[in-house]
Amino acid sequence: MSKAEKLYQERLQRYTTAMECGKPDKVPITFPLGEWVVKYTDTTIQEAYYNFDRTTEITCEIIRDLDFDLMYSALNLWWPPMFNAIGSKLYKFPGIHLEENSQYQYIEEENMKPEDYDEFIDNPTEWLANKFLPRINEEFANPGSYRATAALIKSVAAFAMANDKSAKASEKLAKEFGVVPYGTGMTKAPFDTLGDALRGMKGILLDLRRRPEKILAACEAIIPHNIAYAMITAAGDTTLPCFAPLHRGAYPFLSMEQWEKYYWPSLKAVIEGLWARGKRMFFFAEGNWTPYLEKIAELPDKSIVFVIDATDAKKTKEVLGGRFCLYGGVPTTLLTYGTPEEVKDCVKRVIDELACDGGFVLAPGGVVMSDAKRENIFAMIEAGREYGVY
Amino acid sequence: MAENRDKTFVPEAGTCVPWKVIKEELGELPGNEEIVKKEWENLDTLAYSFIWFWAQR
Repeated sequence: MSKAEKLYQERLQRYTTAMECGKPDKVPITFPLGEWVVKYTDTTIQEAYYNFDRTTEITCEIIRDLDFDLMYSALNLWWPPMFNAIGSKLYKFPGIHLEENSQYQYIEEENMKPEDYDEFIDNPTEWLANKFLPRINEEFANPGSYRATAALIKSVAAFAMANDKSAKASEKLAKEFGVVPYGTGMTKAPFDTLGDALRGMKGILLDLRRRPEKILAACEAIIPHNIAYAMITAAGDTTLPCFAPLHRGAYPFLSMEQWEKYYWPSLKAVIEGLWARGKRMFFFAEGNWTPYLEKIAELPDKSIVFVIDATDAKKTKEVLGGRFCLYGGVPTTLLTYGTPEEVKDCVKRVIDELACDGGFVLAPGGVVMSDAKRENIFAMIEAGREYGVY
Repeated sequence: MAENRDKTFVPEAGTCVPWKVIKEELGELPGNEEIVKKEWENLDTLAYSFIWFWAQR
């Protein structure tokens, strides 16, 4: 067994123990990969997004001498050629729509109209293929036309290529550096599937008043798809948790009453459905979820990894600690605006408060953006190793 | 066979055009059905994940 393979096994064991709420030898530490890395290279964000090989090189360069356990996220979350090929209206990318060192931007629109609800509920996959895809992709606006057929062929090919390149990069990082990914697969809360790319924020907030029964029926229809999508995108893996970016569920987008009625039941059903298949959810609770902790505690023990962003950490430990692995603790703003000393103080405090009896992973509480400082990220990792020994 | 393709059905989660729909159209296969079915389902899963990718992004 090579040194990297041995490291991989050690780190995986550390993470697995924490997910089982146990106490590993050390607090597992996450390295947050993201666009912030690019400014320390001679590359542009555009090149990092488009050129997979260069992205892998950059990643290898920055992690070469670091001692951490897990890697979160990617430099190129979306591979722009797949979107360019089909004329996607969902994103603006650097180099084609934005200047070359901008991060991508998501353009939210009401891509599903109120009158589409019934058709969507009756047959979600067919509705997405026939109505949604032509609406969000300019090159696919007229299915059956020459342009649309060519665009679809190219975009599907790019989708398969991106998946393959991403898997190969992950394999290289594991084999050469012993890097363990934080998770496998992706899914969402049904309310977010509906409220993000389909109805959009404005649409779904209006629906809560005007057609609440349609929201409930649509979320119900989405549940089996979000379970299936998670298992498919994880390629059946059940060792690592499935990423679920949770958006509209953060307080105070919804009132407690709305959250309990419209957001939580279908999300809970997805989590329970995955858990029945042996798959945990990486409960990426962006924002503040403090008011909902007691409801989240209703989940089966160990069925989620709960990510602490702006949720009250002490309260989270009190309500969820010991039953679910907790993850996070370092504010992303501190990694941008703080100093290495402040980051180290934060890590020490977080480990004292959250890691004492195991079941904890040290990490930034959210997505680290392009303005984060390398010295702060490195300080987080070093302090994690210094203070995080059981 | 072409007229069969106008038949409507609601695919189960994880599928676009399930094998059982195709099997009904094809009837008995002269060779090993499992080989054909396995690869049909692999590609069907890819198509399903492509379609849902845009909604789950």
